[in-house]
Amino acid sequence: MGLRMREPSAEPWSAALREPAVTGQRLVRAASTPEEEGTLELLRGSIEKLAPRIDSGSIDRQGKIPEAVVEAARQAGLFALTIDEAHGGLGLSLKATTDVIERMARVDRSVAVMLGLHSGLGTRGLIRYGSAEQKARWLPRLAAGEDIASFAATEAGAGSDLMAVETCGVKVPGGLRVNGRKCYVTNGGFAGLYTILARTPDSGGPRAQSLLCIPRSSPGVQIGPEEDKLGIRGSSTITLDLEDVFVPDDAVLGEPGHGSDHCNHVLAWGRSLMSAGCLGIARAALTLSLGHVTTRRQFGRTLSAFPLVQAQCADMAAQIYAMESLVRLATDAESDPQRLELLSILAKVLCSEGAFLVADRSIQLHGALGFLESTGAPRLLRDCRITRIFEGANDVLLVRTGAALLASGKTDLPAALAPRIAPSLRDAAAACDTLLQQRQATIDAIRKSHGLSVMRKQAVLWALGQAEVCTGAAVASLLRGGADTDATNLALAEHAACMFTQQAGEQLAAAREPRNETRMQRAQALSDLLYAPYAPRTPSQNPRSRTRSQESPA
Amino acid sequence: MTTQDQHRTRVIHVMAEILEVDPTVIRGEQRLREDLGMDSLGSLELLSVISQELDLELEMENALAITTVDDACAFVARHYAEQHGAAHARA
Repeated sequence: MGLRMREPSAEPWSAALREPAVTGQRLVRAASTPEEEGTLELLRGSIEKLAPRIDSGSIDRQGKIPEAVVEAARQAGLFALTIDEAHGGLGLSLKATTDVIERMARVDRSVAVMLGLHSGLGTRGLIRYGSAEQKARWLPRLAAGEDIASFAATEAGAGSDLMAVETCGVKVPGGLRVNGRKCYVTNGGFAGLYTILARTPDSGGPRAQSLLCIPRSSPGVQIGPEEDKLGIRGSSTITLDLEDVFVPDDAVLGEPGHGSDHCNHVLAWGRSLMSAGCLGIARAALTLSLGHVTTRRQFGRTLSAFPLVQAQCADMAAQIYAMESLVRLATDAESDPQRLELLSILAKVLCSEGAFLVADRSIQLHGALGFLESTGAPRLLRDCRITRIFEGANDVLLVRTGAALLASGKTDLPAALAPRIAPSLRDAAAACDTLLQQRQATIDAIRKSHGLSVMRKQAVLWALGQAEVCTGAAVASLLRGGADTDATNLALAEHAACMFTQQAGEQLAAAREPRNETRMQRAQALSDLLYAPYAPRTPSQNPRSRTRSQESPA
Repeated sequence: MTTQDQHRTRVIHVMAEILEVDPTVIRGEQRLREDLGMDSLGSLELLSVISQELDLELEMENALAITTVDDACAFVARHYAEQHGAAHARA
């Protein structure tokens, strides 16, 4: 799933740290109101009841979610989460919805993907940009799960770069005639309604795009066979062919020609819910690991007695605490689209990388047992692998985050957190305060030394992006921990803040390290040699990297 | 063709490469964002490539104010004249 960014965002941490006690309180719970807490309790109960009826091993092997599970999800209202009550939904906030998707992902990631995609990418465009008539037409059936929603943006030549979308809607009387092929369409095999991103040159310039709603029954819609995947094998992934599909004017979502902007908002929801799924996987992996290390004996003691195992379990738990804290900080910004877009990207990278790390560590802690599918540990690793790729490949997101950080205007440093936080977190908060100063100094130094040419230095941008993700993890953990009264959570907050503050500092240093520039130059020279047997055009022949001296006069 | 014209052609050519469109569809009054689907970071990438090709040092702050194709062309021409001398720009 692709990536575009709005204007470089304002400083994200100043706002979060302005009133740490107030922000922290909002991060302690998933629900935003007591009423929402009541609804969440009911939904958590439904998922607990549903869990024993879900055989994840079987779903993985069969590559299909049984209809009985889908029907049980319908009955439990799990397709109605984000749809407003007027259209038969539950009207949950994004933050509360992440709690539901996370809990489902602990049970089964394929089911969580089906529900998360329906609630995020699948219906968000319609809920946010749909007209009253469009909502009345489609939302009630989507809330009931009678229709399942899908979202189709990616194409063979347009993955992380959605500007390159070729599916095109040409103006005809009463609507658009749409042709194109969408790939990696999640929920596509059983969806009743697709939100698609298409070029609509008649609604603006040559690259103008629009979001369109296309029912499955539309003539010209062709659903390809299910893909055979590494993980989330029960989820549906297909290629969607659109051949002369007529899309009436009243099926265009929002403003024609503004599809890429609308897509930014939809993707922020998608990334948030995907992050929640990663959180569920990581929790499941930690639970498996703790169960194993506290019972498995080697060299006369349980594995849990070994200091290295203790450190690894503590790191895994702290990683999860940070992931959840950042997901809540991001989704708490639901009413501020620009802030949500930025924070959801940081949460997506942290959670997808974190889940893979925790799932991999879980296998390692299991020893050879972890290699056996019967433990469930390998499936967790396979199920979260794709999340580092879809909805914006992490490397692309990191480079763009670094670029946005450099391009954003200079802002004042937030007030120091250490004097305003619980005593047990003061040392960790003081380190984070220093980090934020180091962050600003690094940005200033890089802007001064590189100017606009830094936009071509991907290693610098990537390291800055990594630093920003780790900074987000540290800040969110401290804010939440500062408002948390639970002793375990306080300890997790401290460990997470220290761990990520250190990692962020290392990445900031890497961004300024001149040896990285030399390394990239060496890599470029080496890659020319490596690519030569494969590519008809080597990088130095790429038109984008040509020097002026190689150009013919304009 | 003046140097300024050459730079304009070059800017539009690079823009077309980045957007993967035919250079002839790009017009001066088009907005990078709304009409050409290029976000603000995309416009910085564009100017960064151009600065490399024309041996220009461009600062980020001023680049962010660019909204149209004409803005981008004028921005490049102005900096080229400042850094390589006005005589070159009129050449």
